[in-house]
Amino acid sequence: MAQSFHGGPTSKERKYDRQLRLWAASGQQALEDSRVLLVNSDGPLGANSTGVSGVVGVEALKNLVLPGIGGFTIVDPAIVTEADLGVNFFLEEQSLGKSRAEETCRLLRELNPDVHGYFNSQPITDLLHDPDFLPQHKLVIISGPTKRSSLDPLIQRAQELAIPVLYTHSVGFLATFSLQLPAEFPIVETHPDPESAQDLRLLHPWPELVAATSALGDLDAMDDHQHGHVPYILLLLYFLEQWKQAHGGNAPGNYKEKTEFREFVRSQARTSNPEGGEENFDEAVAAVLKTVSPPTIPSTIREIFELDQCQNLTGESVDFWLIAHAIHFFYMTHGVLPLPGSLPDMKAQSADYVSLQNLYKAKARRDVEEVTSTVRQLETQLDRRVPPIPDRDIDAFCKNAAHIKVVHGRQIPQISSNSDAVTLKAIRSQLGIPDSLVSVFIATQILDGVVDEIQDESNDRRFINDDTLWKSHTERILALLTRDDPTPLDSEVRDNINKAIQELRRAEGGELHNIASLAGGLVAQESLKVITKQYGPLDNTCVFDGARSRSEMYRL
Amino acid sequence: MLKIWSMKQQQQQAENAEGAAGKKKKKVTAAQLRVQRDLQELTLGNTMKMSFPNPDDILNFTLTIEPDEGMYKGGVFNFSFSVNQNFPHDPPKVKCTQKIYHPNIDLEGNVCLNILREDWKPVLNLNAVIVGMQFLFLEPNASDPLNKEAAEDLRTNREGFKRNVRSSMAGGSVRGIAFERVLR
Amino acid sequence: MIVTDANSQQNRWKHLHKVLTNAGPYCDEDWIPGEETITALESSKILGAGGLGCEILKNLALSGFKDIHVIDMDTIDISNLNRQFLFRQADIGKPKAEVAAAFVERRVKGVKITPFVGKIQDKDEDYYMQFKIVICGLDSIEARRWINSTLIGMVDMENPESLKPLIDGGTEGFKGQARVILPTLSSCIECQLDMHAPRPAVPLCTIATIPRQPQHCIEWAHQIAWQEKRKDDTFDSDDMEHISWVYNTAMERAQQFHIHGVTFQMTQGVVKNIIPAIASTNAVIAASTTSEVLKIATSCNPYLENYMMYAGEEGVYTYTFEAEKKPDCPVCGNLARKMIVDRNSTLGDFIDSLGERAEAQLKKPSLRTEEKTLYQRFPPQLEEHTRPNLKLKLHELLEDGEEVAVSDPAYTIDFRYKVIFNK
Repeated sequence: MAQSFHGGPTSKERKYDRQLRLWAASGQQALEDSRVLLVNSDGPLGANSTGVSGVVGVEALKNLVLPGIGGFTIVDPAIVTEADLGVNFFLEEQSLGKSRAEETCRLLRELNPDVHGYFNSQPITDLLHDPDFLPQHKLVIISGPTKRSSLDPLIQRAQELAIPVLYTHSVGFLATFSLQLPAEFPIVETHPDPESAQDLRLLHPWPELVAATSALGDLDAMDDHQHGHVPYILLLLYFLEQWKQAHGGNAPGNYKEKTEFREFVRSQARTSNPEGGEENFDEAVAAVLKTVSPPTIPSTIREIFELDQCQNLTGESVDFWLIAHAIHFFYMTHGVLPLPGSLPDMKAQSADYVSLQNLYKAKARRDVEEVTSTVRQLETQLDRRVPPIPDRDIDAFCKNAAHIKVVHGRQIPQISSNSDAVTLKAIRSQLGIPDSLVSVFIATQILDGVVDEIQDESNDRRFINDDTLWKSHTERILALLTRDDPTPLDSEVRDNINKAIQELRRAEGGELHNIASLAGGLVAQESLKVITKQYGPLDNTCVFDGARSRSEMYRL
Repeated sequence: MLKIWSMKQQQQQAENAEGAAGKKKKKVTAAQLRVQRDLQELTLGNTMKMSFPNPDDILNFTLTIEPDEGMYKGGVFNFSFSVNQNFPHDPPKVKCTQKIYHPNIDLEGNVCLNILREDWKPVLNLNAVIVGMQFLFLEPNASDPLNKEAAEDLRTNREGFKRNVRSSMAGGSVRGIAFERVLR
Repeated sequence: MIVTDANSQQNRWKHLHKVLTNAGPYCDEDWIPGEETITALESSKILGAGGLGCEILKNLALSGFKDIHVIDMDTIDISNLNRQFLFRQADIGKPKAEVAAAFVERRVKGVKITPFVGKIQDKDEDYYMQFKIVICGLDSIEARRWINSTLIGMVDMENPESLKPLIDGGTEGFKGQARVILPTLSSCIECQLDMHAPRPAVPLCTIATIPRQPQHCIEWAHQIAWQEKRKDDTFDSDDMEHISWVYNTAMERAQQFHIHGVTFQMTQGVVKNIIPAIASTNAVIAASTTSEVLKIATSCNPYLENYMMYAGEEGVYTYTFEAEKKPDCPVCGNLARKMIVDRNSTLGDFIDSLGERAEAQLKKPSLRTEEKTLYQRFPPQLEEHTRPNLKLKLHELLEDGEEVAVSDPAYTIDFRYKVIFNK
């Protein structure tokens, strides 16, 4: 028996170690509290087909079950066929002739005993009659193509419930998917690159930092050892003071002045020592251009502050907007955001570094306290009926204040008679870019039209490779593309769309395992970001072209 | 025939390459080849010697430094070099095989030299390392030490430090620690 | 029991066979779709290796490949279970290659998967020669460089089948890359070596005397304190007692310097150089590599030329580009030339003859084989050792067909010769 000791990891922490290093315990908790709905088929794709093979959806679930999602529901009326066994890994010989929902659910559950799996073989439109069905889920994944009469009510209902939706296609070598998020989807933990996330306040030092700089005394009086170990932040503050005295109290402002200041710092390094230079001065010189700048507030944050949800709080406002409002108030009062409080590593003696670090930490703590007291006042004023906002959420928000993000979700984009003008315009402008993969998105829209007709007309003689069907839907979609902008599509654009259609039709609606698995990876990745509310989710459509090994993203 | 294999055939016709024969043998590795080149380009001077316990294995050798000036003059210092197959992506591993009194070399033989660790780049060669090693004996650096006590001595009492170097090289003790005799 | 007849097989693979029997708009014009392509696919023997193995085996089996070999030296660890989906709690400790091969064979009817538990370096050229394509998701640069130079060294101008395309994939957190290497024809792993950023290192003196970060304390415990206090134990990063000792020692040091933030998780991360890994990124990268294998084996669409970089933190970002082949690449820039010599001539004569070669007049060469230092001009100690070789006959130093590598200060690249004794 292994010896246990204080601070060692639990077996769950060991199992999930490699992912906890990305989204931490908070992300893992969000994952474990979530159940995902997969709508994996919705009727046959023509006379000789049982429907979408649904591999993208199952592969996406695999990538969610492994990291420990709370649960999943598979809705799939299909019966397992031979063709399924050639493309879906989560079916076996004994599955033939059985419910595909049940069989894929069973084999996915084997992957992780922590995960609850459910299945249902009824069509999704029937299940939607039960008002309690959809709200059990935190995310919906739909395997396309799906007929409009099922798709539209599902995405509509999900939007009303603010449940994110992913609508996917994987046909032959091509895959597309779109993410529908609520109208405002806020993210606090965006995980910015640590380099860009630094905020050292060199031009806005607070009194304790100024005092620490003055406490250095005279740099020239230091011995080589001390001189070579002054943390570069204090060096810059020290020399900024000298610069200001020589420049009428002004800090270096433009690029030219900053370059002059940098050379001034460089000239102050001692070079007569055995090393022929000083590392702390090298660090200071390298940091001038990036860190000697007045604290600015990113335009994205300014926009968030100006949103109605942030300005006009109500008793119904969610935690995010209360904290955002309080931080906006802090910003109005001080002209800066709360200090994140982290300090990069730098050449310094241990004790000097730690005390400088403590200055930054203490200031950050005071800023959090100030924001917290505003939040508490707001909670009282608004008379909210929900538990008080946890301190750790306010803390995380303050640390990430310069990097928070609000995604303005859009509906699953479609090219149809009631298409949004924004969608059509975005597609038209993409079509102007040579080799744009947006033609693949257009081709999948045509496929949706073809399948819609096959399924809703319940016409037994229609096949997915019926040329006349494809022709009429191609013409319909191309006509829609020129609805708002009557400039005709040029021949190159038409040629690209035709090639995408040709590549799509080559597989007759079937999935190739590699491409489905790749798309399943991407869909799972977006699901993880949406569920954990971390990193940056897709906004809103992605195309992967496996024939030419590349992808593109669009906001449609 | 599938495309890439026929491409190869075309390239080969273009070059009119000679035929090869015989069973394939082990190839000289990229690391071996690079060390062969680096060794050939070394400048050792009078103060350095190398020895190869197994001359066929050029990835493992000993460097001996005999400083002819500075505080360590008269000493004979041995360093083992071990180059792995990931060279020059990885730096060589260098250790002092004697217990010596030096601010930048600890009692276990670890050496603090930037290009052996944080500043290593594949474009650097063995000569750069050897020059750096030689410099450590001419200009021991008290500012960022591995042997903190030795560094303190150097910083606060240079004459005392010199005496300590002499007595440690002669196999004496400094601050209660016995050192290896390394005099010529 | 289910009887799999030809008809059911055809139904089973119908989606795949559609793209193999119909040309698409991006296919090469000379490509002829049809039965021959299906036969080419099913008869291609593929080798897979490395940490993406589970995904790669599943994808190859469901791409219609029938003869797959897999090499992996590792055994299953609990931390693999969050992404390596063929392994269960009860499999911990068993060899990955065997468990994965047996699972996929059970699940996908008609595929043969042959596992080898060991290192890729355990196998020789004869072994690698049997495969059509090699696909790797290896976790170390060293292993990548090894397989790269081995496959490049195997290319024989007379035999196009000796060219083994190498498909390489790697992941780190939400990022990854897939690349296609056609040995000797396109940019190789060695040409692209500078794309691997070296692991950032902290100066040893910082660790020894002026720690500032929790990581510095862990490095100290791992690299310095262990050497001092536990000289006789070889550090094993999988031994919980060893990791706990490092953790506790690092904690003590951190307290002494008032440094916060040493955790057990961080300790493991630092000493094992742990790279975050998730199922979704592995799926994306493995599938993009196996998709390239399918395209190369069947020509059903153009293959990747030659690098796809992937980043998933902000939406889905990929960048596909052609990495350059370096003319002075030490691996693919100087392929071995054949040289026919008299087995009874001396090494000295051989060196003289190098000075008269058309490609380069080598005046001051040093040369070796994989096993032997033949002649090394500098340093003097090695020159003395190898000088007697100059008088020896070639057959006393080399085997027929052995490779000799030559460096000469006058040239920035090195030369390789395959020395063949005339009959």
